[in-house]
Amino acid sequence: MKVELRNLTKIFPSRNKKVGGEVIAVNDFTFTIPDGTLVGLLGPSGCGKSTTLYMISGLQKPSSGQIFFGEEDVTELSPENRGVGLVFQNYALYPHMTVKQNIMFPLQNLKGADKLTKDQMLERALEAAKLVQIDDLMDRKPSELSGGQQQRVAIARALVKMPRVLLLDEPLSNLDARLRLQTREEIRRIQKETGITTVFVTHDQEEAMSISDMIVVMKTGIVQQVGKPQDIYDDPTNLFVAKFLGTPPINVFKGNVAGGKLYIGGAAVLDVPGVSDRDVTVGIRPEGFNLDENGALVCELSNVEVMGRDISIVSKNEASLNPVIRSIINSDSKIDATAKTVKYSLKPHKVFIFDAKTEERIHF
Amino acid sequence: MAEKKTSKVMQERDMQKVSSVQKIEKIIVQTALYLFLGIIAIIVLFPFYWMLISSVKSLTEYNLPVPTLFPKQMIFRNYIDAFSTANLGTLFTNTVYVGVVSTLLSLVITVLSAFAFARLEFKGKNALFGALLATMMIPGELFTITNYSTVNDFGWMNTYTVLIVPFLVSVFYIYLLKQNFMQIPNELYLAAKVDGTSDLKYLWKVMIPLSLPTLISITILKMMGAWNSYVWPNLVANDDAHLLITNGLRGADFTVDDMVNYPVQMAAVAIVSFPLFLVFVFLRKYIMKGVSRSGIKG
Amino acid sequence: MVDSKQQWKAWIYLAPAIVLLLIFTVWPIINTLVMAFTEDYSSLSALGGKEFTYGIKNFQKVIEYKGFINCLKNTLLLCVLTVPISTILALVIAVCLNSIKFLQRFLQTIFFLPYVTNSIAIGMVFAAMFNIVGNTAADVQVVETVGIINNALGLFGIEPINWINAGSTYAANIAVMTVYIVWNALPFKILILLGGLQSVNKQYYDAAKIDSTPRIRVFTKITVPLLSPMLAYVVITGFIGGFKEYSSIVGIFGDKMGPAGDYGRLNTMVGYIYDSIKNHQGRASAAALILFGIIFIVTMINLSVSKKKTHY
Repeated sequence: MKVELRNLTKIFPSRNKKVGGEVIAVNDFTFTIPDGTLVGLLGPSGCGKSTTLYMISGLQKPSSGQIFFGEEDVTELSPENRGVGLVFQNYALYPHMTVKQNIMFPLQNLKGADKLTKDQMLERALEAAKLVQIDDLMDRKPSELSGGQQQRVAIARALVKMPRVLLLDEPLSNLDARLRLQTREEIRRIQKETGITTVFVTHDQEEAMSISDMIVVMKTGIVQQVGKPQDIYDDPTNLFVAKFLGTPPINVFKGNVAGGKLYIGGAAVLDVPGVSDRDVTVGIRPEGFNLDENGALVCELSNVEVMGRDISIVSKNEASLNPVIRSIINSDSKIDATAKTVKYSLKPHKVFIFDAKTEERIHF
Repeated sequence: MAEKKTSKVMQERDMQKVSSVQKIEKIIVQTALYLFLGIIAIIVLFPFYWMLISSVKSLTEYNLPVPTLFPKQMIFRNYIDAFSTANLGTLFTNTVYVGVVSTLLSLVITVLSAFAFARLEFKGKNALFGALLATMMIPGELFTITNYSTVNDFGWMNTYTVLIVPFLVSVFYIYLLKQNFMQIPNELYLAAKVDGTSDLKYLWKVMIPLSLPTLISITILKMMGAWNSYVWPNLVANDDAHLLITNGLRGADFTVDDMVNYPVQMAAVAIVSFPLFLVFVFLRKYIMKGVSRSGIKG
Repeated sequence: MVDSKQQWKAWIYLAPAIVLLLIFTVWPIINTLVMAFTEDYSSLSALGGKEFTYGIKNFQKVIEYKGFINCLKNTLLLCVLTVPISTILALVIAVCLNSIKFLQRFLQTIFFLPYVTNSIAIGMVFAAMFNIVGNTAADVQVVETVGIINNALGLFGIEPINWINAGSTYAANIAVMTVYIVWNALPFKILILLGGLQSVNKQYYDAAKIDSTPRIRVFTKITVPLLSPMLAYVVITGFIGGFKEYSSIVGIFGDKMGPAGDYGRLNTMVGYIYDSIKNHQGRASAAALILFGIIFIVTMINLSVSKKKTHY
């Protein structure tokens, strides 16, 4: 099922009554989620990603704009009539019901032609449980399950009524690191197997990058960029997106462009033909550095960390806006860890320049 | 060196002395504690014991100049006499009827109101709830004056309605249940909504099962309220058909030949107390929880 | 998530409660205020088409009325006697209970038993225990038995006392009422105070033990201050309950509120209100407002004192 958001806007009255006014949680969001894809809504807390998810589910009504499932306008439909499955951050399993009762619960609400017999419900519940591999836990209570198992039950409960769209709110945030890795593969597998259009919300860029077909990066209610994870990483539209994606994070420098050359701290580090003279902010991905005896970017060497396949070099530079510069170099390269300085040349496609004021990307 | 050694030995000896003194002190204190608590326990229990033994004594034995602490002869006929003298059968049915109906209706009203306050958003919610809590400060007697004429105007005198309706709403129970409902995560409600669960079904399938202990506490307290109520029924329903058990008991005439037949009276008191003992034995946990929860808010 | 649908749904859920509260709680508040300031109001004379003037005459009448002063005196006396006695006794019992292990549960259960009783029914048992059977009129002393309490006191060489029968003294009556009310009030107070004690962090006591603090000092310097919120609570509820004392007196003396020959001697403020409820609603309302005022003031005093004395 294709999901289309048209000019979606959500305005809340300000919580601080004395100040009054309004808070724009989501501002003019337009986006089409292609059928059968897994889309990650990514952004820091308070960026409006959860509000967007809740609007798709119908739990919150948009202040303006429309939502389409396929060709059907569902903007005015209440949650139960939209055919969505929603998995909550804390799973929201009913504590007094067994796993089986929890999964069957949504089916008992079906009315009219959709009404199922008890056996059909059991069958569907078992099917969903098998899909998330918890069919041997059916008679347990939620309190007797691990966090990962509870998560699976919550997904099974969302899937059992065969929703048109599956929505996941921070699905991994309550799990420990090891389970998180395992569960995100699991979510990917389930989504592939069922082919259900899935939207999930996360503040963890790594999580979003690793499993999404598409990522929507949001900030203060405004969509910053939409695209495939790799495309966004390779071609961010502004400084915020560049900074938000990537581990280790992108290295940011103060710089300026003069005569078609990019200067960082007085050194001409790169040719940027066609960019007019101005102050800029420069972002360089950790893998964008070459060790180069003749390199123009000279940094004070702090530390060399060998990580097997790669070497991570920590260095400092006056012009850097981050406390340290972190570069990742192939371990074939040789570096003298006792040296005082390190010299870099740059890979042009890993260097992004942004207007110092607007923080918008300047292409070169 | 030698000096140090002796002083160390002395120290150890002192320590032993101290610890044995402490041991003796501890034994004395513990004995005193149990003695004191034992005496209090006897004082607390004695009226019940006196009620039970008196209820099976003969009137002659009861009136002996030096009372017996254990009846020489058990006369269980007193209980049958008590039943007929105080008309306990009718009183029982009346009270149980009033208790059951008012408990059921009160539970429905309390659950609906607590749900609205805990889960629904509406204008003036906090102001309304605050106003409700404020009424708890006012002594009930203040309401009784007007309610007496109100039920009179409604023509409710000497009916079951007058015993049930005026006390259906308890702000305290609404408060208690609302607190309980609020502890249930809001996500459960949202999850149920996404699954198309109606509010009433959610209430019935999720919130009520999860707040069962509180609902049981409320039920017990409400039933006990009906069983123990005296003042209001005494004012508005004192005909035989609607008499409640406490009023019937207090008003019953146990006099025989110008003398109160105490054994029969005590038998009647024992019969009235018996259901409360059952509640106490089996449901004590819920009562204590309900009572102490009301204590925490202070 | 406030939508208009939830608005009216909420009001539907609240409707039964609100309707009943309007009739039986809100209207009485307004009506009581009006009646209290309507001079000499009674519904009978209102039906007769009598015109009333507004003023504070009801309050004056109530206060000047000898019966009411008597009720006020009884109520205050019982409050002043029973609240401190029951609070201190409950505190001592709770502390003792908290320092034993064996039988703690069992004794706790026994001490809670009086809470689950019918105060009128058990009042009748107390009456029977204090009762002197026989005719004790001054000229014909035909005493069959002096009652179990007098028998027990006799073991200590105390002469039999006429506690509640005709010709008994006021002091004896009050003593009986005090015993009964304290007996009735203990379970609630013990429950609350013991609950408070059990939630006190054991480390305070361990620390005191290491410093070899004497027991009395532990009690006055650690236990009581840490327990002060619960103590404040039981004292306030005790006073409120005390000012509304009525049915325990009915339990022992019957609804005539006094020993034979001196009915009404032990009447209380609430009793006065009930006495006036049928024919003198104006006066009853004024008395109810006075009762509310006293409870309100005592609660406020208690709160402000306990705020100063409460340590956390």
